[in-house]
Amino acid sequence: MVRWAILAALIVILEVTTRTGMISPALMVSPSEILARLVSIVPTERFGQDAARTLTTILIAFTIGLVLGIPLGVFLWRVPAAGRILEPFIVTGYAMPTLLFYPVLLAVMGLNAGPIILIAASMSLIPIALTTMVALKSIKPILHKLANSVSASPRQYYLKVLFPAATPLIFPGVKLGFIYAVIGTVAMEFILAAQGIGFRAGFYYRELNTADMWAYIAVVIVLSVLVNAVLTRLEKRIRRDML
Amino acid sequence: MSQSPTMRSIGHENDVVFDNIGMTFDTGAGVTRAVENVSGAIPEGKFVSVIGPSGCGKSTLLDMVGGLLKPTQGSVSINGEKVTGPRRDTAMVFQEDSTLHWRTVLDNVAFGLEVKGISKAERYDSARRMIELVGLKGFEDHRPGQLSGGMKQRVAIARALAMEPRVLLMDEPFGALDQQTRQFIGRELLRIWEKTRNRVLFITHDIQEAVYLSDEVWVMSARPSIVKEVVTIDLPRPRPEGTHALPRFRELEDHLWALVKVEAEKTLGPGARLA
Repeated sequence: MVRWAILAALIVILEVTTRTGMISPALMVSPSEILARLVSIVPTERFGQDAARTLTTILIAFTIGLVLGIPLGVFLWRVPAAGRILEPFIVTGYAMPTLLFYPVLLAVMGLNAGPIILIAASMSLIPIALTTMVALKSIKPILHKLANSVSASPRQYYLKVLFPAATPLIFPGVKLGFIYAVIGTVAMEFILAAQGIGFRAGFYYRELNTADMWAYIAVVIVLSVLVNAVLTRLEKRIRRDML
Repeated sequence: MSQSPTMRSIGHENDVVFDNIGMTFDTGAGVTRAVENVSGAIPEGKFVSVIGPSGCGKSTLLDMVGGLLKPTQGSVSINGEKVTGPRRDTAMVFQEDSTLHWRTVLDNVAFGLEVKGISKAERYDSARRMIELVGLKGFEDHRPGQLSGGMKQRVAIARALAMEPRVLLMDEPFGALDQQTRQFIGRELLRIWEKTRNRVLFITHDIQEAVYLSDEVWVMSARPSIVKEVVTIDLPRPRPEGTHALPRFRELEDHLWALVKVEAEKTLGPGARLA
């Protein structure tokens, strides 16, 4: 309730400050105007194509992050020596702004979704791999002993004990991985792309078309809020059922 | 009342037999001898407890029967077969909470059978019977997070019993419980065991508990541990509530305490005296 009140107050403040000219129209237009722009943009075919391109890029990048990140985390846990050797590289990969490689990748792979997927996936993969490793490390030794004592097969050990025990702890990493995929995708599109929501926002930015730029930014904000709400709800459910 | 373990004829072939087993750990800082030259047998239908000072290798002994550890000397055999790894006819209960927190009580109890590949209907059927046996009827759909420590241990016991083990291995299963819960659940265990009569190897620190539950109590020495004495508990079964007050119970308890005290003083170092 309070949160909604804060949100409403913020919108009102923005409306007032932009309309009275306290915020220059070159920087930002009023929320009501953004809404008006959205109403005319959203039904267009071009918007549909942009949204579809951005969403599929995010999903592909996130899926790659998941499919590579979880086994990588399992490997780092299973082979502690590899974990110790590789950890500095992974942490550096985490800290490094990977987007700097974007121009090089563009030159190599061309102006398509490929370079964006590659960067967004590599950003998404790292938190997923690291939390998977940490989650598996933190499983109580007694559960390993139990699985061993009932002669669980390796498959049963992973599916019936390890993954269920680790899921609530892996999930925050998965959530972070998704958010990184969104950031990576939209940011790369913004820098240089041929299509996509981020590209459109960047295009209008460079055209000094403030109103349309903000309309696309609003789309990104709504998308992030929605995705976050879904993931938080999922996380709560997993925690309720699994902790 | 007591006999030296080496004087006993070693094992009938249906027994759990310890044939001169030993265990050394290489800790890096040197070799630690945890268990040495332990011989003995758990006969069919008997409840055997092992007591001894902390760190004397009681749990090591149990893990060797369970196939979790391989003795570095000698061997353990069950029904004439050498134990080389975890077996389908042994089941373990640990001191720590080993319930799977994401599963319901029913699915926890059925876990061992599930791993064995028993069909859903069949394993739920046995699990429900075991849940009733350990007094958790009505809690089938609860998760461990909603249960007390004592109830979680009953889930672990029910899980072990559901596997219908020929040998039940219990590693201080009540060690983490408070005194009242401990006595209560001990009585429950005895009531259940009198129905199932599988062989039990029970590790404990609690002398009274050992006397109350067992047919035999093995007293282990300080490291490197040997079985110092096997004390036969000749109290009649079933053992009703007043059993603790019997003069014979007191005698056995005093005798065991005297044996354990000597070893505990050794563990605690020179000059240590226990009242």
